[in-house]
Amino acid sequence: MEELEQVFNGIVKQYSERLYWHVRRMVGSHEDADDLLQEIFLKIWTALPSFRGEAQLYTWVWRIATNETLNFLRKEKVRALLRFSSADEMAAQRVAADPYFNGTEAEREMAKAIARLPEKQRQVFIMRWWDELSYEEISAITGTSVGALKASYHIAQEKIKLNLSDAEVSK
Amino acid sequence: MTRKNPISVPDGYFQDLQVRLSQIPSQEEAAPRGIRRLAPYVAYAASLLVLATVGNFIFRSAAAKEDNGWDYVSYLALSLDPDGLVELKEAEEPTEDDIRSFLLASNVSVEQLAMLDDEKTY
Repeated sequence: MEELEQVFNGIVKQYSERLYWHVRRMVGSHEDADDLLQEIFLKIWTALPSFRGEAQLYTWVWRIATNETLNFLRKEKVRALLRFSSADEMAAQRVAADPYFNGTEAEREMAKAIARLPEKQRQVFIMRWWDELSYEEISAITGTSVGALKASYHIAQEKIKLNLSDAEVSK
Repeated sequence: MTRKNPISVPDGYFQDLQVRLSQIPSQEEAAPRGIRRLAPYVAYAASLLVLATVGNFIFRSAAAKEDNGWDYVSYLALSLDPDGLVELKEAEEPTEDDIRSFLLASNVSVEQLAMLDDEKTY
């Protein structure tokens, strides 16, 4: 048990901050990211005894984090449906109302455009652009081929550009 | 597109986060996740039980109060008016005259009344 605790504390030390930024960019608000991170690490702790070392610890931790985040976003989608709204729009609204956003107006528009992307495209874009993971690393985490990831990233980039130019026109 | 992190966190957040996250193993040891997940449902069931018990108690005491109230009122009325009590007793056992006047009031003819009296005599 003590050995597991040591491994767990090592994971907390090494990955908590990095995972926080990933989750925060995915969900769009500090409060949700904080709650979700607690859930993710609880899951890591519960699953740690069954970690066999077949995957790298790094990949395994990231996989749990990304799966939990996608689950959270799916639940958000249902909540949005119940409010007759769209999850992407709600995510964009959260970004717009984020009190910890210190960027320029253009940066806020870009964050909103990212929030409007479909979950998986958003995930690939954030992992590549913000988390600076290689396609090979993303592939190991998500189980998607490198080719599909590259295509996904390219589409996400195009959508963001389009969204930004739409926002510019509507001003 | 340029890359500059435009979001921030509250001061000292990551130190606090690491402390909270490293407490997960000890928290789980004290109350495993399953129990903690069940806790809200147990609390919900317990509150329903308390609500039902209190509701039942209030309903029963209100009903008892209502019964006692009526008993008390009728008892009070009778004890304050002893004549009323007497009248009630007399009404329970009508006299011959009461029966006769009732029959007359119910359109029974005098002849029929006489016949009844005769039957009674024999």
